[in-house]
Amino acid sequence: MSRVRRFRNSNFQLALLYAGLFTTSILVLFALTYRTAADYAAQDEADEIDVEFVAIQDEAHLAGDGYLPQIIANHLRQRSSEHAAYLLEDAAGQRLAGNIAARAPQLGPQNLRVPVDGQWRELRAHGYRLANGDYVLIGQDPRALRDMKHLIARAFSVNAAITLLLAVLGGVIISSRALRRVDALGRTTQAIVAGDLSRRLPLRGTDDEIDRLSANVNAMLDRIEDLMRSVRQVSNDVAHDLRTPLTRLRQRLEQARRRGDATPQELREVLEGAITQVDSILETFGALLRIAQIEAGGRRRARTTLDISALLSGVAEDFAPAAADRGQLLLAEVTPGLQLSGDREQLTQMLVNLLDNAIRHSGAGARIVVSAHASTAALEIVVADTGPGIPAPERDNVLRPFYRLESSRTTEGSGLGLSLVAVIAKQHGATLALADNGPGLRVTIKFVKNGAAARRSDAHVTLSDAFVQR
Amino acid sequence: MRILVIEDDAETAAYLQGGLQEEGHVVTLAADGRNGLMLAATGDFDVLVVDRMLPGLDGLAVVRTLRASSVGTPALFLTTMSGIDDRVTGLDAGADDYLVKPFAFSELAARVKALGRRPRATAATTTVLRVADLELDLIKRTVRRAGQPIALQPREFRLLEYLMRHAGEVVTRTMLLENVWDYHFDPRTNIVESHLSRLRTKVEKGFAPELIHTLRGAGYCLREPG
Repeated sequence: MSRVRRFRNSNFQLALLYAGLFTTSILVLFALTYRTAADYAAQDEADEIDVEFVAIQDEAHLAGDGYLPQIIANHLRQRSSEHAAYLLEDAAGQRLAGNIAARAPQLGPQNLRVPVDGQWRELRAHGYRLANGDYVLIGQDPRALRDMKHLIARAFSVNAAITLLLAVLGGVIISSRALRRVDALGRTTQAIVAGDLSRRLPLRGTDDEIDRLSANVNAMLDRIEDLMRSVRQVSNDVAHDLRTPLTRLRQRLEQARRRGDATPQELREVLEGAITQVDSILETFGALLRIAQIEAGGRRRARTTLDISALLSGVAEDFAPAAADRGQLLLAEVTPGLQLSGDREQLTQMLVNLLDNAIRHSGAGARIVVSAHASTAALEIVVADTGPGIPAPERDNVLRPFYRLESSRTTEGSGLGLSLVAVIAKQHGATLALADNGPGLRVTIKFVKNGAAARRSDAHVTLSDAFVQR
Repeated sequence: MRILVIEDDAETAAYLQGGLQEEGHVVTLAADGRNGLMLAATGDFDVLVVDRMLPGLDGLAVVRTLRASSVGTPALFLTTMSGIDDRVTGLDAGADDYLVKPFAFSELAARVKALGRRPRATAATTTVLRVADLELDLIKRTVRRAGQPIALQPREFRLLEYLMRHAGEVVTRTMLLENVWDYHFDPRTNIVESHLSRLRTKVEKGFAPELIHTLRGAGYCLREPG
């Protein structure tokens, strides 16, 4: 980890910010404490001077004012070690006692700068006027105040230094740990970008924010891997499904070219066969595009509330003659007046594909029934036939594109019809279920009422989804 | 008919020109939207064949501009398979029909012919369609042949109506699916053939001559004998 990176790292910046905040608050606290303590100490000292003066006054009262100079001298002696200052002047300003030079009388609290015991000193002092007109000045060294100020300042500066140190250290430790995790995430994502889609972000199991984010990213990667796999499957299927007819087409054309003695009639037949082959390939492409179109356009298209009963009966009516021509009976048993919100063209195509399947795969004599009914919670459309049906293990497979049952390999078709049905159902938030009709196949499409809009995001389906369809 | 083909792909344009000329039409080519628009604006054509994707000015804009300047020449839109809502947007812009590429030439020829004859077929004053001794009353919704009433299912009635409106023309299976059934995709089950055979039984059985003809590989045609 380079130095530059450490300082750019957001965690470290956060640590610095906190250090700054702590230091500032400590300074403010210091200023307040200092000020309060200093005021208190100054008051204390003023009180002390007052007490001293009251003592001198009391003594003078007892002994008589004439003894004042001696009383002052006594006090001076008692406090000789404290660098205190005393001055007694008479009303005329004549110095009577004390250890400082005579000066113009000034009453009340004051600061003194005078030589005491041979040294200039800053003193706190108070001037008093006695009843007999004498002036008394008492000053003392504000030592206690000074000591307290020093003590407070030292305590706070040590404190601030420790706080700063801890904040910076903590920031470095926290940020380097976070960076290590981010680095680990970065290495994994780079590996994924490089093509290893099986890699997953490491989880610590602490369920913190990064863990939860990583878990989400992992879930996303699972989904992407799934889709990638199915896209690969689709490409393989498309390639395989188109190669067979293209190979056959090529063989036919080449055979015709080799035969030099072919009659115009024979050549014409070859060309017609080739066009049929190309049409069937185009049909496969068309079905694939149609699936892609429905999922691309399905969500954009405005849905309308439509009379699904009329739609089902109408389509059934359209197909009944064709079924009859094959010796089959096509019936509609639809509750009239059912409403459904959806895309008319897509729903029509869905039913058409189901009927196409039923008619094509059921033999003569089969009975095909289109029915629809609704409960309070859901609307069900069922297409049931009495044909050969689909064996249970194959029911999921037939929804896969290009998948065709062994028994129907020889019939025409792109193998995409049911995939298209599945995509349309999903676009409408409906479920598609294949079941045994005993005998035959029973396809049920179930639309959940009112839930369709809310479940739109769940119903979001992609081309690849249609192809996975597990 | 005089037909203007606006198509930028030279090979497709030549294919369309050759085929339409064989059908007896006079074909003019335009290779981009701007030229196409200028030519079409003269109003000298009976039908326009317009590719959806064009350099310069796309097909949609060409048709929209023409309609805005009151040029009503019928237009057939050519779209690709991947154009999701091309049909709807094309018809909204003022095109009269559309065809998805790739298409069989016979399909294009039939549609161009149908478009060229459109004004007469859609005359608003027509309330009874007549072909030989077959009569379809659009108001009373009744059908008679040689004076005898024939009962038709609603879908059979619409099928016959479409065939009679295009009497003498070839109509393809997809034209019928789109216009009679409103299916814009091709079901694998041949529902057109099944309905048509029933309609034939009702309209032709016991009558002569035959009016509804199947043209192999092309479509169907309802026409007067001779």
